[in-house]
Amino acid sequence: MAFFIWVLLAILLLIAIIFVYYFNRFVILSNRIDNSLSQIDVQLKKRADLVPNLIETVKGYAKHEKKIINEVTEARKALLKAKDISSKVKAGDQLQTALKSIFALAENYPNLKANENFLHLQQELSAIEDKIAYARQYYNDAILIYNNSCTTFPGVFFAKIYSKQPKEYLKIAPSEKSVPKIEF
Amino acid sequence: MQQRLSFEDEITKNKIKSFLLIIIIFAFFVLLGYVISFVFDPSYFFFIMVISIIFSLSYVLVSYYYSHNIAIASVGAKPASPIKHRNFFHAVENMVLASGLPMPKLYVMESNEINAFASGRNPRNAVICITTGALNKLNKQELEGVIAHEMSHIANYDIRFMTLTTVLIGMISIISQIFLRNLWFASRDREERENAIFFLIAIIVAILAPIAAQLVSLAISRKREFSADASAVKFTRYSPGLISALQKIKNEHLSPEQTNKEKITYPKALAPLFISDPFKKKIQNLFSTHPPIEERINVLKKM
Repeated sequence: MAFFIWVLLAILLLIAIIFVYYFNRFVILSNRIDNSLSQIDVQLKKRADLVPNLIETVKGYAKHEKKIINEVTEARKALLKAKDISSKVKAGDQLQTALKSIFALAENYPNLKANENFLHLQQELSAIEDKIAYARQYYNDAILIYNNSCTTFPGVFFAKIYSKQPKEYLKIAPSEKSVPKIEF
Repeated sequence: MQQRLSFEDEITKNKIKSFLLIIIIFAFFVLLGYVISFVFDPSYFFFIMVISIIFSLSYVLVSYYYSHNIAIASVGAKPASPIKHRNFFHAVENMVLASGLPMPKLYVMESNEINAFASGRNPRNAVICITTGALNKLNKQELEGVIAHEMSHIANYDIRFMTLTTVLIGMISIISQIFLRNLWFASRDREERENAIFFLIAIIVAILAPIAAQLVSLAISRKREFSADASAVKFTRYSPGLISALQKIKNEHLSPEQTNKEKITYPKALAPLFISDPFKKKIQNLFSTHPPIEERINVLKKM
Protein backbone atom coordinates (compact mmCIF):
# COMPACT_ATOMS: atom_id res chain seq x y z
CA MET A 1 0.00 0.00 0.00
CA ALA A 2 2.73 2.41 1.02
CA PHE A 3 4.46 1.69 -2.27
CA PHE A 4 1.45 2.86 -4.31
CA ILE A 5 1.20 6.05 -2.31
CA TRP A 6 4.84 6.79 -3.05
CA VAL A 7 4.38 6.11 -6.76
CA LEU A 8 1.30 8.31 -6.81
CA LEU A 9 3.17 11.08 -5.01
CA ALA A 10 6.07 10.82 -7.42
CA ILE A 11 3.73 11.06 -10.41
CA LEU A 12 1.93 14.05 -8.91
CA LEU A 13 5.24 15.73 -8.22
CA LEU A 14 6.38 15.09 -11.79
CA ILE A 15 3.15 16.57 -13.16
CA ALA A 16 3.52 19.60 -10.92
CA ILE A 17 7.11 20.08 -12.08
CA ILE A 18 6.04 19.87 -15.73
CA PHE A 19 3.30 22.44 -15.15
CA VAL A 20 5.69 24.80 -13.39
CA TYR A 21 8.28 24.27 -16.13
CA TYR A 22 5.89 25.21 -18.91
CA PHE A 23 4.48 28.15 -16.98
CA ASN A 24 8.01 29.50 -16.46
CA ARG A 25 8.95 28.78 -20.03
CA PHE A 26 6.11 30.90 -21.37
CA VAL A 27 6.91 33.69 -18.91
CA ILE A 28 10.61 33.65 -19.81
CA LEU A 29 9.89 33.63 -23.51
CA SER A 30 7.39 36.48 -23.36
CA ASN A 31 9.74 38.46 -21.11
CA ARG A 32 12.38 38.01 -23.77
CA ILE A 33 9.97 39.39 -26.34
CA ASP A 34 9.15 42.37 -24.12
CA ASN A 35 12.83 43.02 -23.57
CA SER A 36 13.60 42.94 -27.28
CA LEU A 37 10.70 45.33 -27.85
CA SER A 38 12.20 47.78 -25.38
CA GLN A 39 15.53 47.43 -27.22
CA ILE A 40 13.83 48.55 -30.43
CA ASP A 41 12.18 51.33 -28.48
CA VAL A 42 15.50 52.54 -27.08
CA GLN A 43 17.01 52.75 -30.55
CA LEU A 44 13.98 54.55 -31.98
CA LYS A 45 14.18 57.04 -29.11
CA LYS A 46 17.90 57.57 -29.74
CA ARG A 47 17.19 58.25 -33.39
CA ALA A 48 14.44 60.73 -32.53
CA ASP A 49 16.83 62.49 -30.12
CA LEU A 50 19.43 63.00 -32.83
CA VAL A 51 16.99 64.49 -35.33
CA PRO A 52 16.66 68.07 -33.90
CA ASN A 53 20.44 68.36 -33.92
CA LEU A 54 20.51 67.23 -37.53
CA ILE A 55 17.76 69.65 -38.53
CA GLU A 56 19.68 72.54 -36.97
CA THR A 57 22.79 71.62 -38.91
CA VAL A 58 20.91 71.22 -42.18
CA LYS A 59 19.09 74.53 -41.68
CA GLY A 60 22.43 76.27 -41.48
CA TYR A 61 23.25 75.28 -45.06
CA ALA A 62 19.97 74.54 -46.80
CA LYS A 63 17.41 76.81 -45.23
CA HIS A 64 15.01 76.87 -48.16
CA GLU A 65 14.60 73.09 -48.37
CA LYS A 66 11.56 73.50 -46.15
CA LYS A 67 9.62 70.54 -47.53
CA ILE A 68 12.12 67.88 -46.62
CA ILE A 69 12.94 69.47 -43.28
CA ASN A 70 9.25 69.56 -42.42
CA GLU A 71 8.87 65.93 -43.44
CA VAL A 72 11.58 64.90 -41.00
CA THR A 73 10.16 67.03 -38.19
CA GLU A 74 6.69 65.61 -38.75
CA ALA A 75 7.96 62.04 -38.84
CA ARG A 76 9.82 62.64 -35.60
CA LYS A 77 6.70 64.08 -33.97
CA ALA A 78 4.69 61.08 -35.12
CA LEU A 79 7.31 58.76 -33.65
CA LEU A 80 7.26 60.51 -30.27
CA LYS A 81 3.47 60.47 -30.24
CA ALA A 82 3.14 56.80 -31.17
CA LYS A 83 1.95 54.64 -28.28
CA ASP A 84 2.15 50.96 -29.20
CA ILE A 85 5.13 49.30 -30.80
CA SER A 86 3.71 48.66 -34.24
CA SER A 87 2.82 52.33 -34.77
CA LYS A 88 6.21 53.28 -33.31
CA VAL A 89 8.00 51.02 -35.76
CA LYS A 90 5.88 52.39 -38.59
CA ALA A 91 6.69 55.98 -37.61
CA GLY A 92 10.31 54.95 -37.30
CA ASP A 93 10.28 53.65 -40.86
CA GLN A 94 8.77 56.94 -42.03
CA LEU A 95 11.47 58.87 -40.22
CA GLN A 96 14.05 56.61 -41.82
CA THR A 97 12.74 57.43 -45.30
CA ALA A 98 12.65 61.15 -44.51
CA LEU A 99 16.23 61.01 -43.20
CA LYS A 100 17.34 59.28 -46.38
CA SER A 101 16.05 62.20 -48.43
CA ILE A 102 17.96 64.59 -46.14
CA PHE A 103 21.16 62.68 -46.76
CA ALA A 104 20.42 62.62 -50.49
CA LEU A 105 19.84 66.37 -50.29
CA ALA A 106 23.30 66.84 -48.81
CA GLU A 107 24.77 65.74 -52.14
CA ASN A 108 23.71 69.14 -53.52
CA TYR A 109 25.35 71.08 -50.70
CA PRO A 110 29.08 70.33 -50.55
CA ASN A 111 29.51 72.54 -47.51
CA LEU A 112 26.85 70.66 -45.61
CA LYS A 113 28.31 67.35 -46.74
CA ALA A 114 31.71 68.37 -45.44
CA ASN A 115 30.35 69.63 -42.12
CA GLU A 116 31.85 67.60 -39.31
CA ASN A 117 28.73 67.66 -37.20
CA PHE A 118 26.63 66.53 -40.15
CA LEU A 119 29.02 63.69 -40.94
CA HIS A 120 29.01 62.58 -37.35
CA LEU A 121 25.20 62.61 -37.21
CA GLN A 122 25.01 60.75 -40.48
CA GLN A 123 27.28 58.02 -39.13
CA GLU A 124 25.37 57.84 -35.86
CA LEU A 125 22.04 57.59 -37.61
CA SER A 126 23.19 54.86 -39.96
CA ALA A 127 24.60 52.95 -36.97
CA ILE A 128 21.22 53.28 -35.27
CA GLU A 129 19.55 52.03 -38.42
CA ASP A 130 21.66 48.86 -38.22
CA LYS A 131 20.79 48.45 -34.58
CA ILE A 132 17.09 48.80 -35.21
CA ALA A 133 17.34 46.14 -37.90
CA TYR A 134 19.18 43.75 -35.57
CA ALA A 135 16.82 44.46 -32.68
CA ARG A 136 13.87 43.70 -34.93
CA GLN A 137 15.53 40.52 -36.11
CA TYR A 138 15.99 39.42 -32.51
CA TYR A 139 12.41 40.36 -31.72
CA ASN A 140 11.20 38.16 -34.54
CA ASP A 141 13.55 35.37 -33.40
CA ALA A 142 12.08 35.62 -29.91
CA ILE A 143 8.56 35.53 -31.34
CA LEU A 144 9.46 32.47 -33.42
CA ILE A 145 10.70 30.58 -30.35
CA TYR A 146 7.62 31.63 -28.39
CA ASN A 147 5.24 30.67 -31.18
CA ASN A 148 7.00 27.36 -31.70
CA SER A 149 6.56 26.42 -28.08
CA CYS A 150 2.95 27.63 -28.21
CA THR A 151 2.01 25.58 -31.25
CA THR A 152 4.05 22.37 -30.99
CA PHE A 153 3.19 19.40 -28.83
CA PRO A 154 3.22 19.27 -25.81
CA GLY A 155 3.55 23.05 -25.49
CA VAL A 156 0.27 23.57 -27.32
CA PHE A 157 -1.52 21.75 -24.49
CA PHE A 158 -0.02 24.02 -21.82
CA ALA A 159 -0.53 27.11 -23.99
CA LYS A 160 -4.26 26.35 -23.91
CA ILE A 161 -4.23 25.88 -20.14
CA TYR A 162 -2.36 29.15 -19.54
CA SER A 163 -4.32 30.78 -22.41
CA LYS A 164 -1.22 31.85 -24.36
CA GLN A 165 -1.69 32.82 -27.97
CA PRO A 166 0.92 32.95 -30.74
CA LYS A 167 2.20 36.52 -31.23
CA GLU A 168 2.49 38.67 -34.32
CA TYR A 169 5.78 39.17 -36.13
CA LEU A 170 7.02 42.64 -36.95
CA LYS A 171 6.47 43.26 -40.64
CA ILE A 172 9.40 44.59 -42.56
CA ALA A 173 8.75 47.59 -44.77
CA PRO A 174 9.58 46.85 -48.42
CA SER A 175 12.32 49.48 -48.46
CA GLU A 176 14.22 47.63 -45.74
CA LYS A 177 14.31 44.34 -47.54
CA SER A 178 17.09 45.50 -49.84
CA VAL A 179 20.40 43.66 -49.72
CA PRO A 180 23.00 45.37 -47.51
CA LYS A 181 25.64 47.04 -49.62
CA ILE A 182 29.22 45.96 -49.21
CA GLU A 183 31.92 48.59 -48.76
CA PHE A 184 35.43 47.94 -49.91
CA MET B 1 59.11 27.08 -38.81
CA GLN B 2 61.86 29.68 -38.77
CA GLN B 3 59.74 32.53 -40.09
CA ARG B 4 57.79 32.77 -36.89
CA LEU B 5 60.68 32.26 -34.57
CA SER B 6 60.12 35.36 -32.47
CA PHE B 7 56.49 34.46 -32.20
CA GLU B 8 57.34 30.96 -31.08
CA ASP B 9 60.02 32.30 -28.79
CA GLU B 10 57.51 34.27 -26.83
CA ILE B 11 55.25 31.27 -26.54
CA THR B 12 58.13 29.11 -25.44
CA LYS B 13 59.05 31.67 -22.82
CA ASN B 14 55.52 31.60 -21.50
CA LYS B 15 55.50 27.84 -21.59
CA ILE B 16 58.77 27.63 -19.68
CA LYS B 17 57.45 30.03 -17.08
CA SER B 18 54.28 28.08 -16.47
CA PHE B 19 56.17 24.81 -16.66
CA LEU B 20 58.63 26.01 -14.02
CA LEU B 21 55.73 27.05 -11.85
CA ILE B 22 54.19 23.60 -12.11
CA ILE B 23 57.55 21.95 -11.48
CA ILE B 24 58.12 24.01 -8.36
CA ILE B 25 54.66 23.22 -7.02
CA PHE B 26 55.04 19.58 -7.89
CA ALA B 27 58.51 19.36 -6.37
CA PHE B 28 57.16 20.92 -3.22
CA PHE B 29 54.48 18.26 -2.95
CA VAL B 30 56.86 15.44 -3.72
CA LEU B 31 59.29 16.75 -1.14
CA LEU B 32 56.52 17.03 1.42
CA GLY B 33 55.31 13.56 0.54
CA TYR B 34 58.82 12.18 0.79
CA VAL B 35 59.42 13.76 4.17
CA ILE B 36 56.11 12.52 5.56
CA SER B 37 56.54 9.03 4.13
CA PHE B 38 60.08 8.94 5.47
CA VAL B 39 58.81 9.74 8.94
CA PHE B 40 55.71 7.53 8.88
CA ASP B 41 54.92 5.13 6.08
CA PRO B 42 55.09 5.09 2.26
CA SER B 43 51.29 4.88 2.09
CA TYR B 44 51.13 8.54 3.15
CA PHE B 45 52.11 9.41 -0.38
CA PHE B 46 48.48 8.72 -1.26
CA PHE B 47 47.36 11.36 1.21
CA ILE B 48 49.64 13.87 -0.44
CA MET B 49 48.15 13.09 -3.82
CA VAL B 50 44.69 13.85 -2.43
CA ILE B 51 45.94 17.20 -1.23
CA SER B 52 47.43 17.88 -4.64
CA ILE B 53 44.06 17.09 -6.22
CA ILE B 54 42.38 19.63 -3.95
CA PHE B 55 45.11 22.09 -4.77
CA SER B 56 44.83 21.65 -8.53
CA LEU B 57 41.04 21.89 -8.28
CA SER B 58 41.25 25.19 -6.46
CA TYR B 59 43.81 26.33 -9.02
CA VAL B 60 41.38 25.51 -11.79
CA LEU B 61 38.54 27.23 -9.94
CA VAL B 62 40.57 30.39 -9.59
CA SER B 63 41.49 30.33 -13.26
CA TYR B 64 37.82 29.67 -14.04
CA TYR B 65 36.61 32.72 -12.15
CA TYR B 66 39.41 34.96 -13.42
CA SER B 67 39.75 33.35 -16.85
CA HIS B 68 38.86 36.54 -18.69
CA ASN B 69 41.29 38.65 -16.65
CA ILE B 70 44.04 36.10 -17.20
CA ALA B 71 43.33 35.90 -20.92
CA ILE B 72 43.31 39.68 -21.32
CA ALA B 73 46.46 40.15 -19.26
CA SER B 74 48.34 37.38 -21.04
CA VAL B 75 47.97 38.99 -24.48
CA GLY B 76 48.56 42.48 -23.09
CA ALA B 77 45.24 43.82 -24.38
CA LYS B 78 43.93 47.25 -23.45
CA PRO B 79 40.29 48.27 -22.93
CA ALA B 80 38.74 49.49 -26.17
CA SER B 81 37.80 53.15 -26.32
CA PRO B 82 34.32 53.99 -27.60
CA ILE B 83 35.72 56.87 -29.67
CA LYS B 84 38.87 55.39 -31.14
CA HIS B 85 37.41 51.93 -31.77
CA ARG B 86 33.99 53.13 -32.78
CA ASN B 87 33.53 50.44 -35.44
CA PHE B 88 34.35 47.75 -32.92
CA PHE B 89 31.76 49.10 -30.49
CA HIS B 90 29.11 49.39 -33.18
CA ALA B 91 29.73 45.86 -34.42
CA VAL B 92 29.54 44.43 -30.90
CA GLU B 93 26.45 46.46 -30.02
CA ASN B 94 24.78 45.19 -33.18
CA MET B 95 25.61 41.60 -32.32
CA VAL B 96 24.43 42.14 -28.74
CA LEU B 97 21.07 43.20 -30.15
CA ALA B 98 20.99 40.31 -32.61
CA SER B 99 21.91 37.68 -30.04
CA GLY B 100 20.14 39.05 -26.95
CA LEU B 101 23.31 38.54 -24.90
CA PRO B 102 24.52 41.12 -22.39
CA MET B 103 27.19 43.55 -23.59
CA PRO B 104 30.65 42.02 -23.09
CA LYS B 105 33.69 44.04 -22.02
CA LEU B 106 35.77 45.02 -25.02
CA TYR B 107 39.53 44.90 -25.39
CA VAL B 108 41.96 45.61 -28.18
CA MET B 109 45.41 44.10 -28.61
CA GLU B 110 48.14 45.56 -30.77
CA SER B 111 48.80 43.15 -33.61
CA ASN B 112 48.84 43.33 -37.38
CA GLU B 113 47.18 40.02 -37.97
CA ILE B 114 43.44 39.48 -38.03
CA ASN B 115 42.27 37.64 -34.96
CA ALA B 116 39.89 37.87 -32.05
CA PHE B 117 38.94 35.84 -29.03
CA ALA B 118 36.27 35.68 -26.38
CA SER B 119 36.65 34.69 -22.75
CA GLY B 120 34.76 34.67 -19.48
CA ARG B 121 32.94 31.98 -17.56
CA ASN B 122 29.42 33.10 -18.55
CA PRO B 123 27.76 35.76 -20.76
CA ARG B 124 27.56 38.20 -17.83
CA ASN B 125 31.33 38.10 -17.36
CA ALA B 126 32.34 37.82 -20.98
CA VAL B 127 35.08 39.74 -22.73
CA ILE B 128 35.83 40.09 -26.42
CA CYS B 129 39.31 40.97 -27.50
CA ILE B 130 40.25 41.88 -31.05
CA THR B 131 43.50 42.76 -32.80
CA THR B 132 44.08 46.20 -34.25
CA GLY B 133 44.82 44.40 -37.53
CA ALA B 134 41.30 43.03 -37.60
CA LEU B 135 39.84 46.49 -36.96
CA ASN B 136 41.92 47.98 -39.78
CA LYS B 137 41.56 45.27 -42.40
CA LEU B 138 37.98 44.09 -42.02
CA ASN B 139 34.96 46.00 -43.29
CA LYS B 140 31.73 46.33 -41.36
CA GLN B 141 30.14 43.07 -42.53
CA GLU B 142 33.33 41.07 -41.96
CA LEU B 143 33.85 42.57 -38.53
CA GLU B 144 30.29 41.76 -37.57
CA GLY B 145 30.82 38.20 -38.77
CA VAL B 146 33.92 37.80 -36.61
CA ILE B 147 32.23 39.37 -33.58
CA ALA B 148 29.19 37.17 -34.12
CA HIS B 149 31.47 34.11 -34.09
CA GLU B 150 32.92 35.22 -30.76
CA MET B 151 29.48 36.01 -29.35
CA SER B 152 28.46 32.48 -30.31
CA HIS B 153 31.33 31.09 -28.26
CA ILE B 154 29.99 33.12 -25.35
CA ALA B 155 26.40 32.08 -25.99
CA ASN B 156 27.36 28.39 -26.29
CA TYR B 157 29.30 28.47 -23.00
CA ASP B 158 32.36 27.23 -24.87
CA ILE B 159 34.64 28.84 -22.31
CA ARG B 160 32.98 26.90 -19.51
CA PHE B 161 33.34 23.78 -21.61
CA MET B 162 37.03 24.36 -22.17
CA THR B 163 37.54 24.83 -18.43
CA LEU B 164 35.64 21.65 -17.66
CA THR B 165 37.69 19.63 -20.13
CA THR B 166 40.83 21.04 -18.57
CA VAL B 167 39.61 19.85 -15.18
CA LEU B 168 38.66 16.49 -16.62
CA ILE B 169 41.97 15.94 -18.34
CA GLY B 170 43.72 17.06 -15.16
CA MET B 171 41.75 14.59 -13.08
CA ILE B 172 42.42 11.77 -15.51
CA SER B 173 46.14 12.42 -15.43
CA ILE B 174 46.11 12.62 -11.63
CA ILE B 175 44.25 9.33 -11.36
CA SER B 176 46.67 7.67 -13.78
CA GLN B 177 49.50 9.11 -11.76
CA ILE B 178 48.12 7.67 -8.54
CA PHE B 179 47.63 4.34 -10.21
CA LEU B 180 51.14 4.22 -11.63
CA ARG B 181 52.58 5.18 -8.29
CA ASN B 182 50.58 2.58 -6.37
CA LEU B 183 51.63 0.01 -8.89
CA TRP B 184 55.22 0.81 -8.23
CA PHE B 185 54.78 0.49 -4.49
CA ALA B 186 52.72 -2.66 -4.88
CA SER B 187 55.20 -4.43 -7.07
CA ARG B 188 57.96 -3.53 -4.67
CA ASP B 189 56.10 -4.78 -1.63
CA ARG B 190 55.13 -8.18 -2.91
CA GLU B 191 57.16 -9.75 -5.62
CA GLU B 192 54.23 -11.17 -7.56
CA ARG B 193 54.79 -11.49 -11.26
CA GLU B 194 51.79 -13.68 -12.13
CA ASN B 195 49.57 -11.07 -13.74
CA ALA B 196 52.39 -9.20 -15.40
CA ILE B 197 50.45 -8.83 -18.67
CA PHE B 198 47.55 -7.23 -16.84
CA PHE B 199 49.93 -4.80 -15.18
CA LEU B 200 51.53 -3.97 -18.51
CA ILE B 201 48.13 -3.22 -20.08
CA ALA B 202 47.13 -1.14 -17.07
CA ILE B 203 50.34 0.88 -17.31
CA ILE B 204 49.79 1.53 -21.01
CA VAL B 205 46.18 2.60 -20.36
CA ALA B 206 47.27 4.88 -17.54
CA ILE B 207 49.80 6.52 -19.83
CA LEU B 208 47.50 6.80 -22.84
CA ALA B 209 44.33 7.93 -21.04
CA PRO B 210 45.32 11.59 -20.58
CA ILE B 211 46.48 11.80 -24.20
CA ALA B 212 43.26 10.25 -25.44
CA ALA B 213 41.21 12.66 -23.33
CA GLN B 214 43.18 15.55 -24.81
CA LEU B 215 42.50 14.33 -28.35
CA VAL B 216 38.79 13.99 -27.66
CA SER B 217 38.60 17.50 -26.25
CA LEU B 218 40.41 18.88 -29.31
CA ALA B 219 38.02 17.06 -31.61
CA ILE B 220 35.11 18.63 -29.72
CA SER B 221 36.81 22.01 -29.89
CA ARG B 222 36.94 21.72 -33.71
CA LYS B 223 33.28 20.81 -33.80
CA ARG B 224 32.51 23.83 -31.66
CA GLU B 225 34.16 26.08 -34.21
CA PHE B 226 31.67 24.89 -36.81
CA SER B 227 28.75 25.48 -34.48
CA ALA B 228 30.06 28.96 -33.61
CA ASP B 229 30.27 29.73 -37.35
CA ALA B 230 26.71 28.55 -37.78
CA SER B 231 25.42 30.66 -34.88
CA ALA B 232 27.37 33.63 -36.26
CA VAL B 233 25.37 33.37 -39.47
CA LYS B 234 22.20 33.11 -37.43
CA PHE B 235 23.08 36.40 -35.73
CA THR B 236 24.17 38.34 -38.82
CA ARG B 237 21.88 36.64 -41.38
CA TYR B 238 24.69 37.35 -43.77
CA SER B 239 27.21 34.55 -44.27
CA PRO B 240 29.33 36.40 -46.92
CA GLY B 241 30.62 38.67 -44.11
CA LEU B 242 32.20 35.85 -42.12
CA ILE B 243 33.27 34.03 -45.29
CA SER B 244 35.25 36.97 -46.59
CA ALA B 245 36.73 37.58 -43.13
CA LEU B 246 37.92 33.96 -43.05
CA GLN B 247 39.23 34.37 -46.60
CA LYS B 248 41.29 37.36 -45.48
CA ILE B 249 42.63 35.38 -42.52
CA LYS B 250 43.51 32.52 -44.86
CA ASN B 251 45.39 34.82 -47.22
CA GLU B 252 47.25 36.17 -44.23
CA HIS B 253 48.27 32.67 -43.24
CA LEU B 254 49.72 32.18 -46.69
CA SER B 255 51.98 35.22 -46.37
CA PRO B 256 53.61 34.83 -42.99
CA GLU B 257 56.24 37.61 -43.32
CA GLN B 258 54.04 39.90 -41.28
CA THR B 259 53.98 37.66 -38.26
CA ASN B 260 57.74 37.86 -38.20
CA LYS B 261 57.43 41.21 -36.50
CA GLU B 262 54.71 40.07 -34.18
CA LYS B 263 55.59 40.16 -30.54
CA ILE B 264 52.24 39.07 -29.15
CA THR B 265 52.28 36.01 -26.99
CA TYR B 266 49.27 33.78 -27.26
CA PRO B 267 49.00 31.32 -24.41
CA LYS B 268 48.29 27.94 -25.89
CA ALA B 269 45.28 27.39 -23.65
CA LEU B 270 43.60 30.35 -25.32
CA ALA B 271 43.93 28.93 -28.82
CA PRO B 272 40.46 27.33 -28.98
CA LEU B 273 38.88 30.69 -28.21
CA PHE B 274 40.38 32.53 -31.16
CA ILE B 275 38.52 32.86 -34.44
CA SER B 276 41.42 31.19 -36.21
CA ASP B 277 44.22 29.18 -34.69
CA PRO B 278 46.82 31.77 -33.64
CA PHE B 279 49.57 29.20 -34.05
CA LYS B 280 48.78 28.68 -37.72
CA LYS B 281 49.97 25.15 -38.01
CA LYS B 282 50.60 24.30 -41.64
CA ILE B 283 49.50 20.72 -41.23
CA GLN B 284 46.02 19.89 -40.06
CA ASN B 285 46.20 17.06 -37.56
CA LEU B 286 44.64 15.50 -34.50
CA PHE B 287 46.19 18.15 -32.30
CA SER B 288 44.60 21.12 -34.07
CA THR B 289 42.18 23.25 -32.12
CA HIS B 290 40.48 24.59 -35.25
CA PRO B 291 39.19 22.93 -38.41
CA PRO B 292 40.88 24.04 -41.65
CA ILE B 293 39.67 27.44 -42.85
CA GLU B 294 38.78 26.12 -46.33
CA GLU B 295 36.47 23.60 -44.74
CA ARG B 296 34.82 26.26 -42.62
CA ILE B 297 34.34 28.48 -45.68
CA ASN B 298 32.83 25.59 -47.63
CA VAL B 299 30.39 24.82 -44.84
CA LEU B 300 29.44 28.49 -44.58
CA LYS B 301 28.90 28.75 -48.33
CA LYS B 302 26.35 25.96 -48.13
CA MET B 303 24.23 27.90 -45.62
